[in-house]
Amino acid sequence: MATPVSVLRLPKGPDPSSRGFDPSSPRFIALCRTSIPTAAAPEADAEQLQTEQHARSVLRETFLRCLLSMSNKKVRFHMHGKVKLEATFGASDIDILNFQVSDLHTPIGVQKEALIRSQDVIWFTFDK
Amino acid sequence: MQCGWPMLGPLQWIRYVNKQVTVKAGKDEVHRGWLLTVDPVSASLVLVDFKENGGASVHVVMGHAVEEVQILQEADEETADRLRTSFLPPRTCGLDPEELRRRRGSVQRWLEKNRVPVEEEGDELRVAGVLTIRAPYGPEDCSSSNQIILDRIQKLIQNLIPTDP
Repeated sequence: MATPVSVLRLPKGPDPSSRGFDPSSPRFIALCRTSIPTAAAPEADAEQLQTEQHARSVLRETFLRCLLSMSNKKVRFHMHGKVKLEATFGASDIDILNFQVSDLHTPIGVQKEALIRSQDVIWFTFDK
Repeated sequence: MQCGWPMLGPLQWIRYVNKQVTVKAGKDEVHRGWLLTVDPVSASLVLVDFKENGGASVHVVMGHAVEEVQILQEADEETADRLRTSFLPPRTCGLDPEELRRRRGSVQRWLEKNRVPVEEEGDELRVAGVLTIRAPYGPEDCSSSNQIILDRIQKLIQNLIPTDP
């Protein structure tokens, strides 16, 4: 008799009308504990909040520019379990949960298009 | 710095920027480089290693894998400058003021022709009070917190048909 196969449910994506940063969304709570809740703390005084927001925007802008310059470049990913992969970087989602890559060289062959979960990645590198 | 890197927050992270650091991540892996930035969403670090031939190799260490970050030294002025300019878009401000004025006029007339309220503010253009276009007035020079307006104006400028004054 065939044994029933359990259904693997993927986490829900962000609400299409939101910008993906809703701290109460299940996806955010499960995957993306960031510093956002601390900043939103009501007791933080306004001046500190402003300097924090400024720091945040400076850091984020530089990071986004770095991501932009990475598109269409050869990137080497180092994953958990000593797996090394090479691919052409495409894009990332705003909360840096997935990377879209092309021509992913895996140990069993080349995958034309792929999404890599950022949770599986330790670090990656490319030449500017 | 012990673990808990992702929980530090922007004010702590920014102290590490422009410093040479070693980062312990995953299983006994150590990275060394100049810290360009820390993504405030994923806490990932961007390390830059300048090469002798003028190029640079960039390492991005994911925030969730970071075990320890240690500062080695501060950047001297030259290195800090190199870091700052390494990912900036190439600026075309080599254009002479006359050419810029011509471009500004042409963009302004084009937007007006498309019934978009636009006014001149110094050498910037201001659209409906919510969007700014800086020199050299291309689609990439628009900034606005309203994505929809930004997208529309960028598309308009992309399809600009030069009109004579």
